[in-house]
Amino acid sequence: MKYLEALIYSMEWLGNKNDTIFLGQSVKYSGNAIYNTLKTVPDEKKLETPVFEDLQMGLSIGMALEGFVPITCYPRFDFLILACNQLINHLDKIRSMSRNKMQPRVIIRTSIGSKEPLDGGIQHTQDYTEVFKKMCSEIDVVMLDNPKDIFPMFKKAYERKDSKSTLLIEHGDYYNEK
Amino acid sequence: MKIQFPNHLNKVRNSNYSVEDLINFENEVKKHYENGEIRSPIHLSKGNENEVIEIFKYISEDDWVFSSWRNHYHALLHGINKQVLLDDIISGRSMSTNSINPKFYSSSIVGGIIPIATGVAKAIKDKNEKNKVWCFIGDMTYETGIFHESYKFSRNFKLPLEFVVEDNNLSTNTPTNETWGLKSRNIPKDIIYYKYDRGYPHHGTGNWVLF
Repeated sequence: MKYLEALIYSMEWLGNKNDTIFLGQSVKYSGNAIYNTLKTVPDEKKLETPVFEDLQMGLSIGMALEGFVPITCYPRFDFLILACNQLINHLDKIRSMSRNKMQPRVIIRTSIGSKEPLDGGIQHTQDYTEVFKKMCSEIDVVMLDNPKDIFPMFKKAYERKDSKSTLLIEHGDYYNEK
Repeated sequence: MKIQFPNHLNKVRNSNYSVEDLINFENEVKKHYENGEIRSPIHLSKGNENEVIEIFKYISEDDWVFSSWRNHYHALLHGINKQVLLDDIISGRSMSTNSINPKFYSSSIVGGIIPIATGVAKAIKDKNEKNKVWCFIGDMTYETGIFHESYKFSRNFKLPLEFVVEDNNLSTNTPTNETWGLKSRNIPKDIIYYKYDRGYPHHGTGNWVLF
C-alpha cells in the first residue's frame, strides 16, 4: 500500500469500531488533505468542529473519559500548537494527576504541511516532532515515515493495553510521493 | 447571597455537610499546613459555605463535577471521602483533586477544565444518558475566551452542562474587573452565579510557615 492508501485503510478500520469518533476541521467537508483520508468513514462518525483547537482537544479528552476513542484531527502541525494547553497541561498529565485512575485514550492526527507542488510557507509547513517528544511525558509521539508502518501504528494506538494517547505525525508531501 | 437557579434545575439531594463542617475541614488543613506537613500550595475556601451547600443540593451523585485549584468544598460536597481528601491534600495533591467515584476532576490551569467538561457533556448526550456535568469557575475564568467558546458550543448543541461562576473579583490578587475595564459582570440567566469575599489568601493561610 502507498502512503495515502494506508491512511485511508487505517481510517476505514477505525471507522468500523463502535466507540470511535472523528473530529476536527475538514473531517466532513473538503478543504484539507486530511479529508481525502476520511472519505470512506461514514458522516455519522464525524464531528466537523469550528476552529477552536484547544476546545477541540479538551472535547476529545472529555469524550474519551466517557468511553469514546476520539480521532482528533489537526490538518497542520502549526495548528496543533493552538491546542497545547489541553494537550500538554491536561491530556499528557491526567494519568499522573489521577494516579492512573483516569485513562482517556485519544488518537491525535497531525501533518507536516506539504512543500510540493505549492510551498505552504513558514506558518504552514513546520515540523515540531522533536519538540513535542520532549514536551510529552505520557503521550506517545509517533512519526509516520513509512507506508508499511501506518496501519500497525494506528492499530496499536487504538488497541494499546496501557490505554495511553498517541500523537501520529504525517508528512503532507508523502501523500503524493510514497 | 441568594442564588437565582435556572428553572430547569431541581433539588436532588441533601447535604451531608453543614457550614461549620466545611469551615472545620479547612481549619484542619490549615493546621497541617502551618505545621509544615504539606509541601505544596493549598488554596483554602472560606466565605461561600451557604452558597456551595445550596448549589450541591441540585447536583446528583452521578453527575460529573469540574473544579479548580480551590476545590476542597466542591470535593467534600460531591462525596469524596473526607479522610481520602485530607490525605490527598497532605500528600501535596490539593491543586488537582480528582476521583472516578464520585466523578470529579480539577485542574490548576485557568479555564483548563471547561473544554474537558464540554467533552464529557457531549459524550453523555451522544450516549443518551441522564446525568450531567457541572463546571465551577471563578470570575477571571468566566471572562476568558475559552469559557465563551465552550459556553456557546454547549448551549447551541444543548449539552447537559451547567456553569457556576463563583465571583470574588480576584485572580490570585489581581482584580478581574480592573484588568478588563469592567464595572460589572453581565451573566446570562442560565448560569448559576454568586459573589463572595474570599476568606483566605489566594494560597496558604495568611500566616508565616517555616518549612
